[in-house]
Amino acid sequence: MTNAAMRRAQLEALVEAQGGCRATPPLLLPADPYFDLAGEEFGRRLLLTTDSTGAEHCLRPEFTLPITRDYIADGTRQPAAFTYLGPIFRQRDTGPAEFDQAGIELLAQPDGDVALDQVFTFARAALSIYGLPANIRLGGVGLFEALLVQADMPAAWRPRIRHRFGHPEAMERLLSRLEAAPDAQRQEQPSRDVLIEDVTARMVSTGLSLSEGRKPEEIADRYLEQQALDVAHVPAETLKLLRDYLAISGDVLSALRQIEALAEKHKLMLGAPIRAIRRHLDKLGEARITFDAAFSPRLDYYTGIVFEMTGRSGEVLASGGQYDRLLERLGATAPIAASGCALWVDRLEAEVSA
Amino acid sequence: MSGITLAVPSKGRLEELTRQWFAERGLSISRPGGARSYLGVMDGEPDVTVRFFPASEIARELIRGNIDIGVTGRDLIHETSENGPSSVHFARSLEFGHADVVIAVPDAWIDVTHLHDLADVASDFRSRHKRWLRIATKYITITRQHFAKAGIAEYRIVESLGATEAAPASGVADIVVDITSTGSTLAANGLRVLEDGVMLKSEANLIVSRTADWPAEKKAHLDDLLQRLGATAT
Repeated sequence: MTNAAMRRAQLEALVEAQGGCRATPPLLLPADPYFDLAGEEFGRRLLLTTDSTGAEHCLRPEFTLPITRDYIADGTRQPAAFTYLGPIFRQRDTGPAEFDQAGIELLAQPDGDVALDQVFTFARAALSIYGLPANIRLGGVGLFEALLVQADMPAAWRPRIRHRFGHPEAMERLLSRLEAAPDAQRQEQPSRDVLIEDVTARMVSTGLSLSEGRKPEEIADRYLEQQALDVAHVPAETLKLLRDYLAISGDVLSALRQIEALAEKHKLMLGAPIRAIRRHLDKLGEARITFDAAFSPRLDYYTGIVFEMTGRSGEVLASGGQYDRLLERLGATAPIAASGCALWVDRLEAEVSA
Repeated sequence: MSGITLAVPSKGRLEELTRQWFAERGLSISRPGGARSYLGVMDGEPDVTVRFFPASEIARELIRGNIDIGVTGRDLIHETSENGPSSVHFARSLEFGHADVVIAVPDAWIDVTHLHDLADVASDFRSRHKRWLRIATKYITITRQHFAKAGIAEYRIVESLGATEAAPASGVADIVVDITSTGSTLAANGLRVLEDGVMLKSEANLIVSRTADWPAEKKAHLDDLLQRLGATAT
């Protein structure tokens, strides 16, 4: 057996040994759920094909979605663990479009912390099969949401800021815009009724449906909200807090200390999410861990803690975290806790031969 | 072999202007087989093979390296492939065929004047309307790239191969990404370009393929030709 084949066999064994169900979703999947969940940005990575009825399918681009959809359709709501190892297909700038991914999904587990620990253990065990040290980058979605809820600002700005978390350029543009906001005097605004009438007239005259898409009331309300926001400044101190917070990045212990100092200075209660991160550090032992306050996947179903494990040149070898909002987004009628991670098998092997 | 393949638009105003542009620089292109032939010659340049192609095929073949140089719109290079711009060298603008690829929303959307407004509307569109914000366009690659940069992910593209400006009124889409030179067609259809909604400024360009084979002798021939056309070498 070659060394590569040995490592592959060990990875197979690790995937089998998680005490869960080995999931093997079909290679050909309906494409719409992916567009629905992740939009065009992920959609452009799909390998698409169309059947004779015109329905779009894609080659399996990852495992989490089919696994969680099957779980919801099953309707049990019982704690469940799934593992997987097999080919996925994505359009990539470099490397073949077909490559292997392995991973774990822990659903409806009674204790989210314990579940995340199991995910960390799984990912680290996989890296050690390849003889790789764990360089772990942590992000705090729960921490940022806790900070945002308490930071002093007009409420309407919070979803706008939350929405840009994990996209540094978009966040930078928004913060700069808020900092540069002129001290505009509030101008006399037309009444809501007048606005609705005006918008309705414009829609009718250009043949737009008044019920299919955005309705006149929605447009008028958002217009008024926008005018109000233009004068409802986010306090300069809050903007400074956000910038200081998002810039925190480095060794996890000193990063958390900086956050605690920031919380104390601004009188924010961030104890619970910080403790949640600390609890996992004990389990992660001697791994090299950094915390990056601005780090988050761009998808809004992530919650709690997210992570990446990277290789020598910074390539992501494993990524995952907690995503308690995912199953609801996929149609579950009540919140269901979820955590897991995916491993990039070809990159793991490439790290060994590098 | 130092022969160079030059592709020029095969019909319409674009063909006319392109041939005129070359003629003004002393390099007349003729079409010995008449308008139905797709092979042409350049006067005094026996080593240049001229091919007449539809503009979008010129973009595709330049990116693949099947033709060496060509005249087509910058927008088509960006749209044909994400790797398009890095696969070619824009040697010079021909100063015609000006048009912008723009984002336009219904004029009735008085609350949406900038991209950041669109980001806000897109982010909660699904929870309000039980579907994604829909964008009609034929510029799928350019739209995806631009929206990704702007941090807007919550939308679906509806591919539109013609009369994109009619999509909002016919209920096919909410907004459009379209090409326009004066904006008058958009305005006539009750659409307004966002204040920061110009995604790409396009015009006809003389374009060199980076993926074609360029042995030294052929490269020297190219540089000579580019110089005579007042274009920058690769």
